Amino acid sequence: MPKLRSLLLTAAGLLVALATSASAQSDYPNRPVRLIIPFPPGGSNDVVGRMIGTQLSQQLGKQVIIDNRAGAGGVIGTEIAAKAPADGYTILVISLAHAVNPWLYKLPYEPIKAFAPIGVMGSGPNVVVVHPDLPVHSIKELVALAKQKPGDLQYASAGVGSFQHLGAELFKLEAGVDILHVPFKGGGPAMIDVVGGHTKVMFSSLVQTTPHIKTGKLRALGVGSKERSKVLPDVPSVAEAGVPTYEAVNWWGIVAPAGTPQPIIDKLHAALTASQDTADVEKQFASEGATVVKKSPTEFGAFMVSEMNKWEQVVKKGGIKAE
Amino acid sequence: MDLFQNLIFGFGVALSWQNLLYCMIGVSVGTLIGVLPGIGPLATIAMLLPITFNVAPVGALIMLAGIYYGAQYGGSTTAILVNLPGETSAVVTCIDGYQMARQGRAGPALAIAAIGSFIAGTFGTMLIAVAGPPLAELALKFGAPEYFSLMLMGLVAAAVLAQGDIMKSLAMVALGLLLGIVGTDVNTGVQRFSLGITELSDGIGFIVVAVGVFAIGEIVANLGNPEERSVFTGKVKGLMPTWADFKQSVGPITRGTLLGSFFGVLPGTGPAIASFASYMVEKKIAKDPSRFGKGAIEGVAGPEAANNADAQCKFIPMLTLGLPASSVMALMLGALTIQGIQPGPEVMVTRPELFWGLIASMWIGNLMLVVLNLPMIGLWVKLLKVPYRFLFPAIMAFSAIGVYSVNNSSFEIYLTALFGVIGFIWIKLGCSPAPMLLGFVLGPMMEEHLRRAMLMSKGDPSVFVTRPISLGFIIATVLILVVIILPAVRSRRGEIAG
Repeated sequence: MPKLRSLLLTAAGLLVALATSASAQSDYPNRPVRLIIPFPPGGSNDVVGRMIGTQLSQQLGKQVIIDNRAGAGGVIGTEIAAKAPADGYTILVISLAHAVNPWLYKLPYEPIKAFAPIGVMGSGPNVVVVHPDLPVHSIKELVALAKQKPGDLQYASAGVGSFQHLGAELFKLEAGVDILHVPFKGGGPAMIDVVGGHTKVMFSSLVQTTPHIKTGKLRALGVGSKERSKVLPDVPSVAEAGVPTYEAVNWWGIVAPAGTPQPIIDKLHAALTASQDTADVEKQFASEGATVVKKSPTEFGAFMVSEMNKWEQVVKKGGIKAE
Repeated sequence: MDLFQNLIFGFGVALSWQNLLYCMIGVSVGTLIGVLPGIGPLATIAMLLPITFNVAPVGALIMLAGIYYGAQYGGSTTAILVNLPGETSAVVTCIDGYQMARQGRAGPALAIAAIGSFIAGTFGTMLIAVAGPPLAELALKFGAPEYFSLMLMGLVAAAVLAQGDIMKSLAMVALGLLLGIVGTDVNTGVQRFSLGITELSDGIGFIVVAVGVFAIGEIVANLGNPEERSVFTGKVKGLMPTWADFKQSVGPITRGTLLGSFFGVLPGTGPAIASFASYMVEKKIAKDPSRFGKGAIEGVAGPEAANNADAQCKFIPMLTLGLPASSVMALMLGALTIQGIQPGPEVMVTRPELFWGLIASMWIGNLMLVVLNLPMIGLWVKLLKVPYRFLFPAIMAFSAIGVYSVNNSSFEIYLTALFGVIGFIWIKLGCSPAPMLLGFVLGPMMEEHLRRAMLMSKGDPSVFVTRPISLGFIIATVLILVVIILPAVRSRRGEIAG
């Protein structure tokens, strides 16, 4: 009977397909894996992504190729990953920006649904610094000065929607103060301006700032993590220094396109965890002011949603989105 | 003398065979990527960074630095030979360098570019050694108002760039300003003229515009004039500059070196500005400015010296304060931090081998580059004899690869092709692209600094005249305006009287 024959054929075809896909998964990876970093070389995403990428190559036994696809605050590279085949050979570095972009841009992808979380690489807090000329020595004094002259004090940021900008806007909301935003094209120029004493305050990423704090060119008032940072043990957290609800921590994680088979996700997650355990990564992260953070794929997924909700509030209440 | 001892110590470090090897690798790779358009030091250093983790910090830094300043040398090669700016800063070299090549003087142009770069590099290196820290402190005094006034002076002086029809030049500057506006506004995050295209949200790349209007536009125009093609292959006149060439170049190289060092120390000025500034100065003080744009050797010597001095001096803020003046410097800072070294004033004390070793190696590297580049000239000039049916497709292919590699984006290739067509139209209309590029570079920076200055002064424009450095630039701007306008006024008076 032709019907039965076609049915059998289909079934056989399905079996073959299943078998090949199963073998495709079990010998994954059998060719180089592309790790898209949606930011240009040199930034924190790139540095952290490359450190982990090097280790992943060793764990997976196949080269992990770094592919910088910068542009539009990470949207361009993220879109490429979202549209890539879900076969585990294209994976993506994401960071806090991924949870913020939905509130700033019209995205060509679904920030949560288009991706399968693999794991978090690490995180690094911001640090509130002022130029030494400014007569404030603590978060409380900063709040007092800002309340005394609303809108007079100015802070530098790496640009609209940057971690430095959002951390400051969150502070303004939580502490109930008004500080004027002065955006720059990137964290480097902003830092130069603050060290030069033109703008006086910055909610900078710890990674960039530690050397200038240690040489006394900048005065650190508090770090954005709930606990103190190992890099700056003498600097209190902003929360303990007077704004108890404040937490501004940048994080970096790896995701795959949605639909990537679970065994591949598990394998990548295991490789990521093993990479994080190497002494090299721990040392390199520490030198960058970052800490290794581990989350299971499910935990990471939930974390992404909570981060999106947190920063949606900041973007909306702070009036950050440009119309 | 302390400095002397330090330098001897530095040379001791730099002359170890490993460090010489790293320096050699660095400058060779740098020359190569400099020759190729688009592929810049940033991407190269990023790719090589993981390798350096296992190299001693001094060696790593020497190699990465070599790539960076080596690219400045290489960038001029294709600019002179085929009107293709290999690096951003080589754009200015295209203007007169390529014309020299068309007159059969590619050899002297390449030689003077290398020699000028070497002199500038030597001076820049000395400057870091002698006065690095105080200069860096001085540069920090520049805030938004100072940068704006400085650039205003630059834009006014740009009137000198005008060639022939002044209206056309002004229109081209305005066009450059407009093109520079495309992208995300720094102050508000609003998209301007990006037409809903995500790739345009970061603006139009400088290399895209430069390669499009110079290299591609020139090729299209050449294809339109078949009779002109044989012009510059036939008459290659000498590979080395003549005595007269040297005499003409001494002044421009000296001034270019000083200008380049000035701009190099200031972290807030981008690339190409130093070269533009040098070109404008040379044209203004030349006895016969009409030679510029038609193969004046001063127009190669000055800007090439300026861009190499600029590149060397960009190390000053990085080495002495730990502040990156550009993304390449940020990457090198990253390389040092990963090695467990925190750059800053104390590096000179705690890791003297790093500071003095690097400085010594920079001079050695510059020497290597001259030795590497001068014998190559004969080879490069032979390249011009390659028949056009091979040369043109090759230039197109390298341009496409280079432009793609900036952001790994094929959109940029299409955009370059579009600018190629626009560049061809400009050639046909007799509009010189140089003023446009100056507007394109200066415009966005001026706007950024102006708005930032106004934001910080709460809308009070007096900030530009109450800060002494800014006031100085404003006065200089007015003086330049007077110098430019006065002869015109006088000649008109003469006409009326006569």
